[in-house]
Amino acid sequence: MTDLLSVEGLTRHFGGIAAVVNLHFRVKEGEIFGIIGPNGAGKTTAFSMIAGSLVPTVGSIRFRDREIGGWPSQRVVHLGICRTHQIPRPFTGMTVYENVEVGMRYGGRRTPPRGSIADEIERILEFTGLSGWGARPAGSLPTGNRKRLELARALATDPVVLLCDEICGGLNPTETADILSLLRRLRDGGITILYIEHDMRAVMRTCDRIMVLNYGEKLAEGTPEEIQDDEGVIEAYLGRRSWMGRAEPIEERP
Amino acid sequence: MTAAPGSRTPTSRTAYAVAALALLAFLAVPLVGITNNAIRLLLTTFLWVTTSLAWNLLGGVTGQVSFGFAVFYGLGAYTAGLSINGGVNPYAAIAAGGAVAAFGSLLIGLPTFRLRGPYFAIATIGVNEAVRIVMSNLEITGGASGLRLLQAGRFSQAEHYYAALGVAALAFLVSWRVMHSTFGLALRAIREDQDAAADVGVHPFRCKLAVHALAACLTGLAGGVFAHYSAYIHPDGVFAFATSTSILLMPVIGGLGTLSGPVIGAAVYSIVQEEMVVNFPQFHLLLYGALLILIMLFEPGGLAGLWRRLARRLRGRNAADPGAGIAAQQQPTGGGS
Repeated sequence: MTDLLSVEGLTRHFGGIAAVVNLHFRVKEGEIFGIIGPNGAGKTTAFSMIAGSLVPTVGSIRFRDREIGGWPSQRVVHLGICRTHQIPRPFTGMTVYENVEVGMRYGGRRTPPRGSIADEIERILEFTGLSGWGARPAGSLPTGNRKRLELARALATDPVVLLCDEICGGLNPTETADILSLLRRLRDGGITILYIEHDMRAVMRTCDRIMVLNYGEKLAEGTPEEIQDDEGVIEAYLGRRSWMGRAEPIEERP
Repeated sequence: MTAAPGSRTPTSRTAYAVAALALLAFLAVPLVGITNNAIRLLLTTFLWVTTSLAWNLLGGVTGQVSFGFAVFYGLGAYTAGLSINGGVNPYAAIAAGGAVAAFGSLLIGLPTFRLRGPYFAIATIGVNEAVRIVMSNLEITGGASGLRLLQAGRFSQAEHYYAALGVAALAFLVSWRVMHSTFGLALRAIREDQDAAADVGVHPFRCKLAVHALAACLTGLAGGVFAHYSAYIHPDGVFAFATSTSILLMPVIGGLGTLSGPVIGAAVYSIVQEEMVVNFPQFHLLLYGALLILIMLFEPGGLAGLWRRLARRLRGRNAADPGAGIAAQQQPTGGGS
């Protein structure tokens, strides 16, 4: 498998604070690449730079041998990189259908053929479990469906790489399982997924490879098994408690 | 509400019919012999309807509140006035007014659209004042003493009436087209969440510039018709900050982001203005202030929203209101960490 996305020396400062420091990683085509780390570790900042919402202070982001660091999001999305937000940001005054329609009409890599748009939107709504919600104003959706709408709107842009920022945060176990199965189906359909998550069980079960961030730097990278056994990760991030093998997810430090 | 794809509402055919009937009725008005004063009132109303619809495209649909629309009204008026005095056909002159206003909007939009929300609004206040002061001191415009237009031929009120009706109809048609188009979809997405819109491929800056130019052009046309009609314009009238706030007030009173709202707002404003200014000068400002506060507190959908709510109440339906005012639905959106 080839590298689809390669990040080199990525750094972002906010005033005197270094949110992301000299980050290197490569994402292979067709994998689910997890990014974990404590709050404030720089996960979302790294995401935002890839998605074009933030300009890197230093560093390079290459997508299929094209340098995209510093491109604005409306340009990045046309290459096929689209993000979802940790806190869903639906267009609340528009219907669910219209939310997805914006993604389809403006984010697509090619103009969808006339007449097929309604079918495509229906298909995406059905895939994300929102069929029947199309005519509802997005502002009236409960949290679980807002997360689904984030996913649906991003999928409407026909992405090559999907950046999912804590898409299971705040969901109950059933909803989480649903979303995770959607992500796996998307991966099996050929979409590469970068996935930030706090829910350890979700990450370990879903990701092909995982990168651990701490204080803006990379602490470790590898398969879920390797990460679970990594002494550095256990000590620095997860603490010394023997938590592995427990059924319930780890409590996050506040 | 059916699961209608796109933004077509079931009532759009009825609305179309109402609009067509209204247009026919207004076309017939000068023929049935109502007083000149009533025709003048209608004419002014049409001009305000035009600016109100135009402002609504930027402020209501796209959510970019501008306090600077008098600039476009004034640019339209002065361009038309100077062209007419230079011997240009009045209607070509009015069209030129629209073009100059649109061009001016680009010059204003390029720097100011880098700002967001209240900062954009404040910047437009500054631009408005700056332009007014420049226009008050320019030699070519006649400075603060204003510009008198040369009149070719006999004055015909009906002609001006039809010109005003024409620009109002144009503004209505343009608004209708924009609001039901893919472009309108992007504009609404920008209003709801500019960053999220950019994330899915909308180019907020370009879209804002485009709709600003469109709105400025319509406002400029209204300014041009006004100049041609009144035959005398001065900077403290057409470029006044009060003109900007009036242009903003009407769609807010009527109902932002809708098609009927700005029309209703302009009509109410014009009639109230007419009655109040004669009997209680200055008092009308108090009334607008009170109206504005009441609307913001109780009915962010404006008079159009109030009407929808009443209609629903009368029909005895208590379904959740999907079209309740935009402002009510605008929630603070959190950024990523």
